[in-house]
Amino acid sequence: MAVQPARKVDRDEVFLELTRSICPVCKRVIDAEINAKDNRVIMRKRCPEHGLFEALVYSDADLYLAQQRYNKPGTLPLEFQTEVKDGCPLDCGMCPEHKQHACLGIIEVNTSCNLDCPICFADSGHHGPADGYSLTLEQVDFMLDRFIAAEGDPEVLQFSGGEPTIHPQILEFVALAQSKGIRSVMLNTNGIRLARDRRFGEELAKLKPHLYFQFDGFERETHLAIRGKDLRADKERGLDRAAELGLTVTLVAAIEQGVNEHEVGEIVRFGIRHPAVRSIAFQPVTHSGRHVEFDPLQRLTNADVMKLVAAQVPEWFALDDFVPVPCCFPTCRSMSYAFVDGDTVVPFTRLLEIDDYLDYLSNRVVPDYDVRHALEQMFSSSATPGAEKALLACESCGIDLPAELAHLEQKVFMLIVQDFQDPYTLNVRQLMKCCVEEITPDGRLIPFCAYNSVGYREQVRAQMSGAEVAPVVPNALPLQSLLQPTRFGSKTVAG
Amino acid sequence: MSLAAEEIKTCCVAAYGSPAARVLLGDSFHPGGLNLTRQLIRPLALGCRSVAVDVACGPGRSSLELARETGCTVIGVDLSAANVAEAQRAAEVAGLADRLSFLVGDAEALPLEAASADGALSECALCTFPDKRAAVRELARVLKPGARLALSDMTADVARLPDELRTLQAWVACIADARPLDEIAELLGGEDFVVESLDRHDNALVQLLDRVEARLKVLAMTAAMSSGDLERGSSLIALARDAVAAGTLGYGSVIARRS
Repeated sequence: MAVQPARKVDRDEVFLELTRSICPVCKRVIDAEINAKDNRVIMRKRCPEHGLFEALVYSDADLYLAQQRYNKPGTLPLEFQTEVKDGCPLDCGMCPEHKQHACLGIIEVNTSCNLDCPICFADSGHHGPADGYSLTLEQVDFMLDRFIAAEGDPEVLQFSGGEPTIHPQILEFVALAQSKGIRSVMLNTNGIRLARDRRFGEELAKLKPHLYFQFDGFERETHLAIRGKDLRADKERGLDRAAELGLTVTLVAAIEQGVNEHEVGEIVRFGIRHPAVRSIAFQPVTHSGRHVEFDPLQRLTNADVMKLVAAQVPEWFALDDFVPVPCCFPTCRSMSYAFVDGDTVVPFTRLLEIDDYLDYLSNRVVPDYDVRHALEQMFSSSATPGAEKALLACESCGIDLPAELAHLEQKVFMLIVQDFQDPYTLNVRQLMKCCVEEITPDGRLIPFCAYNSVGYREQVRAQMSGAEVAPVVPNALPLQSLLQPTRFGSKTVAG
Repeated sequence: MSLAAEEIKTCCVAAYGSPAARVLLGDSFHPGGLNLTRQLIRPLALGCRSVAVDVACGPGRSSLELARETGCTVIGVDLSAANVAEAQRAAEVAGLADRLSFLVGDAEALPLEAASADGALSECALCTFPDKRAAVRELARVLKPGARLALSDMTADVARLPDELRTLQAWVACIADARPLDEIAELLGGEDFVVESLDRHDNALVQLLDRVEARLKVLAMTAAMSSGDLERGSSLIALARDAVAAGTLGYGSVIARRS
């Protein structure tokens, strides 16, 4: 009788890459596989102590792979702050192995906040002064100088927190950064002080930093879920105040599954019509720091948010109006620019074939290098409203836009979709090319996602406050049995 | 068509050489852009010793691509002196002036010697030539035996198109005298050429219509264009889109070998 030979079976996923990540629990560095399965991109990794972890990295494998072509060779900074010792992500930063300079530097001026949001990657809030820190002018001066030493001619600096507007010296900090010649100074804010303090608004208007204004939606339930408070009146007043004062605004919307996904379209419509708003940054909620319980395999990614925009504002935007940003790792950030005139909105992607200019992998000559250079400035982590001017002013350029467009600055609108990595999704391949850096009080420049995921944030907070700061662990569904709350509201592991 | 051939040619030159055409069509003068151009270049099988001719080359973008992709020498011919001058400038800027030359000339009487080219490219142009047979004869004359022609063009079943798409304005937009793809193949499939492949690229045309409409809208924002012009332009685009959907308008390509 013939024995049927055993049949071999194919794997149900495509192995895309082997990279390094960390264990979300103990943060030790471990190998990680990236696989594509059912058109989803999933990271899988195993910690010898804490076992197997899986997380959704990108919800559209086609798009993930297509975006790899937009990978611009990085630029060396003038100075590195650390040495290579233990390897990425333990030598931050920046260490000489980092692949990109800092397009955007962030200085967190404090840890305290006038809100206690259920979602806060910085774990900020109304805690006592001994639990956090508040920078002095001398410290900020030193940090700015380190940033300038590394960059020469820094593009964008953002003051963040905590809530930076409640720092008593925030106006001095903004003025100091501007006096040092940093091209664009941004102020991250929840808008409450701007809405409620007339004098503060007037003082701010003299300096005119660009406002990075937290704005998650219009529904009471959204506000309660993400901010713990109904802030709708403050948001409206704050934005109207910004318009009165001539301040320009980027709306920053944290998007969480089952909370405000349905509000994405309304945020776009509102932003485009509001006189102060020049751009919107959508960020799938970052599962670092403090956040509500989540399933790492069901999280929102950039692809979802772009598809939400396309589905909810189909009259203006389509999925392919978003361009992967080449300066950082292209799957981390996508952007779209559009000309706006009343209810007519025309994305730039409809006017020229951006693929012809920003594909860095094919060994092809670009039709016009001036156009590529202008597009690189637009589709960058350092892009602020007005970045399109370089393209519109580009005389030699083969795209032949009418010269009049160069004067239409106020009619150009920018959409940004940015996914930050968390301890589950952290991939050193992306991290090594990160161009958004936290500037630490000791003068290091640490990639934003490393700062929030690897333990640097806790280290800096402990050093600066003298208090003990527990290592933060994601509030993920599979980890629930291990977790206990920290005194800031985030989670840590028992023992 | 009641219009005299010369009148049409003059009008084409004025339209395609004009800044308005540049503004409306942007970096690519034909559906499919550089990607389709690259697809067409491949079967020409050119190398660094080859000479290729680009008939109705416009401001030379495809000629440049042809030279870059294959390393060959390119002679571009266009009826517009402004296009020829710009193409020459672009070649100089790209540092390829030694391999690219551009001539003002008529596709129906190419200023080139017989059997002088190893390949020919002609994009979105046949439909604008009043005497198509003459243009095909000329392509056959300048190509060496065995050399290939890659031709892309608007395709149309003109009798079934709405009147608005058959006016002079539409003519220069490559519509009114376009032919169905099989008729183009027939035109080429005489004794001079053997048709090797035929492909449809209707979606590329839809994308180009979207591009033109987007540019029209942006122009209207700058007051460089009246709202009346915008409406007229948009309604023509809508008609063209409907025609593509109905299968009476499209874009196609032919690869043919000189026998």
